[in-house]
Amino acid sequence: MTKTIVVTSGKGGVGKTTTSASIATGLAKRGFKTVVIDFDVGLRNLDLIMGCERRVVYDLVNLVNQEASLHQTLIKDKRIENLYILPASQTRDKDALTIEGIARVMHKLRKSEFDYIICDSPAGIEKGAKMALYFADEAIVTTNPEVSSVRDSDRILGILQSESKRSKMNEEPVKEHLLITRYNPSRVQDGQMLSVDDIVDLLAIPLLGIIPESPSVLDCSNAGKPVILDDESAAGQAYSDAIDRLLGESKPHRFMEAPKKGFLSRLFG
Amino acid sequence: MSNNLLLNAALNHGAANVSSNPGVELKGGMYTFMSLKLHTSDMDVIDAKLADKVQQAPSFFKDTPVVIDLTVLEKAESEIDAARLLECIKRHKLIPIVASTSDKSSPMAQSIALPLIDGGVGRSIKEKSSSKPAESSSDKADETASSTIDVTPDVDLSLSREIEYVIKTPLVIDKPIRSGQQVYARDTDLIVMGPIGPGAEVIADNNIHIYGPLRGRALCGVSGNTSTRIFCQSLEAELVSVAGNYRMLETIPEELRGKPAQVWLDKDRLNIEPL
Repeated sequence: MTKTIVVTSGKGGVGKTTTSASIATGLAKRGFKTVVIDFDVGLRNLDLIMGCERRVVYDLVNLVNQEASLHQTLIKDKRIENLYILPASQTRDKDALTIEGIARVMHKLRKSEFDYIICDSPAGIEKGAKMALYFADEAIVTTNPEVSSVRDSDRILGILQSESKRSKMNEEPVKEHLLITRYNPSRVQDGQMLSVDDIVDLLAIPLLGIIPESPSVLDCSNAGKPVILDDESAAGQAYSDAIDRLLGESKPHRFMEAPKKGFLSRLFG
Repeated sequence: MSNNLLLNAALNHGAANVSSNPGVELKGGMYTFMSLKLHTSDMDVIDAKLADKVQQAPSFFKDTPVVIDLTVLEKAESEIDAARLLECIKRHKLIPIVASTSDKSSPMAQSIALPLIDGGVGRSIKEKSSSKPAESSSDKADETASSTIDVTPDVDLSLSREIEYVIKTPLVIDKPIRSGQQVYARDTDLIVMGPIGPGAEVIADNNIHIYGPLRGRALCGVSGNTSTRIFCQSLEAELVSVAGNYRMLETIPEELRGKPAQVWLDKDRLNIEPL
């Protein structure tokens, strides 16, 4: 059974593409045949994060318009077995996508026996975002610990309930997961950021994980490597935990406390 | 009604109430009336049955306005002595106010000295629920609530002795209402089991009950019912309104915020009190 998961947020710049890349990589690393699709037509980014920007020949729009085959379009990841990338088109816009076209692509992917289809949604609540979430079985709602991001997430949750295929066909609703990214416990302590409890209380959906703010996220993006592959970094470990929870394991949440300052750093600030 | 129209109508309605006295207002309204459904045109039977009915609870029936339902007789194409019927009803201390007919041009409808309304209004509840129970909530066209006395020559009186009232089921939502979503409970109560997000709107013609925090807007009594209330477990609303009289969060006292509270209208004053 193929599972389709959309990574979405409403707001831009909260870490959807970073999350899509790491979730897809994490699932593939655990042996699941996984494809990650960039729905941000016109603002292609996923290929950079995945480090395959020089290997893009055909893209999602070609596939939707039946100008290329699935085999020609999919880019096989060089590091991880079972991982494929379906890039967006940079020269077109969101109007190039149609529900019928995406449905055809999804059908082909299911027939190719993918276990997971990860849909990296563009920001906003317009056509591109709606296309990305339409076929979702599950949704990872990516939220930063600040009010505007939380409100936009609330909005996108409403759209998931009313605009997804599952809601339109009156099927079991899309399973929702909350992923808090760029979490900085010391700024939470200072009252500059919302706490995990505040966000969970506001959005009222189950918490999949907390990704701490970490310089390694940017370093990995620049290097074209999903941060989950950086086992040393807190962010990489947090994504790894999130994968376990996504697969049904229950694990305590980490990275919620500010690191205790050592004696020396307390002295010298 | 489109979303914005609905909200504006709700707010404007209140603005008119608060700022100036309009003198007169013409509005649609829904009222509950007793209807007298005639199953026979035999005046002697009607007289006897009515006497029997009224005698059971004279004070209840005294000076009660009634809608005369002619639809059954019209179907049977029978005729009735309209003058005698009105005289009989008045003699039993009921006040005939209007006749319900399925054909306003029929001789029977024309002969009766009362205003006419479209028939089907006084349909008995039993009929309605047995035929299409599932439709009762969506069946909005003919939901004029009415209690019915059937004047039937051959019906067990103990059954029809009960006076039935239509109670509309409330709209119950067991999920959070998200930012940007709008829910409207037409002609009934709204019950939400979950939070109302900021930027969400919950609207009802009747009361609103929220088992969770209210962070968006809540407007009750939007068609003008001033005796409706809003109840919530944590008041963090952007706006609350009862029959168009509204208050924004800034004017809600600090000590009430985040607390279980109710909102209601005392004359023209919007009251908010902890629960």
